[in-house]
Amino acid sequence: MSQPDPILSDDEDDKRLMALVAEGDDDALRMIVHRHHARLVGYIRGEVGSQATAEELAMEVFIRLHRAASRWRPDAKLSTYLIHIAHNLVLNEWRRRGRKPTTALEFAAEPGDQRHDSARRVTELDEAFQRAIAQLPTEQRTAILLVVQQELPYEDIAGIMGVPVSTAKTWIHRARSRLRELLKDFYGPA
Amino acid sequence: MDNFNPQTFDKNLAAALSSGREISVPGFADRVIVAVRLERRRQTVIRWSSLVTAVAACVVTVLTLQSPSEESLNRQTVALVAREESSPLADLLGIADDLSLLTPVVDKKSSIVDVLATPGS
Repeated sequence: MSQPDPILSDDEDDKRLMALVAEGDDDALRMIVHRHHARLVGYIRGEVGSQATAEELAMEVFIRLHRAASRWRPDAKLSTYLIHIAHNLVLNEWRRRGRKPTTALEFAAEPGDQRHDSARRVTELDEAFQRAIAQLPTEQRTAILLVVQQELPYEDIAGIMGVPVSTAKTWIHRARSRLRELLKDFYGPA
Repeated sequence: MDNFNPQTFDKNLAAALSSGREISVPGFADRVIVAVRLERRRQTVIRWSSLVTAVAACVVTVLTLQSPSEESLNRQTVALVAREESSPLADLLGIADDLSLLTPVVDKKSSIVDVLATPGS
């Protein structure tokens, strides 16, 4: 019943699956998780810097999605909705910690991390970017992650962050400027 | 690199971030399903306990409404006490009635006795 429909696009199939989730179909939920979890964990990991926390928060995102399935209205893409929930959870996480992760150490590969081996292979420039992104103000980092990493349109970023589109654009512009400043050793003075 | 090239910068930024764009976690979907089922069970327990609590509250309310008020209880108590105090008198009256039955016939005026007792008869 909850097999993927080859004719439908992912968005349309998400809507169909969400209707099934609302009826208590666990297989439909499993398919949604399977389709979206990697990107969600990637986004949260970029925000919080910890694989374990990213997985924990991603799990909470799907639990909340399941809880809200009967009330969900397909006004936006499900992937955007999931990142919206994730963003709120990330904000809660920062409030709980009383700070945001700003040290490069927190962004380094953790022991047991599946990406540990591949992390060793990242270039010096990639690492410099990671460190620089970690130093950005919270809203600028979120905005740059959403636009560059998640490739979301400005309208969706504004919706997720609860700000006007112009504000989201300003944050992204400032983030780029700040990154260029932080990476002046690679790109020359801004 | 003295000449800043925005396109190169954007390309490098995208490359740096794209490495973490998707992090697939084996078995993650199964873990989510387990967590969701636990959550569902927890919700069921909460729903039932809420229902039981509501029913219990209703029962207590009904019992409270059906039981006599404090004022009514006071009135009943006063009536009972008053009844207790008046009972000795009632008992006495009862005994008096019983005594009247036991009164000797000789003590009562009788025409026969009167005739016999009349001097010279």
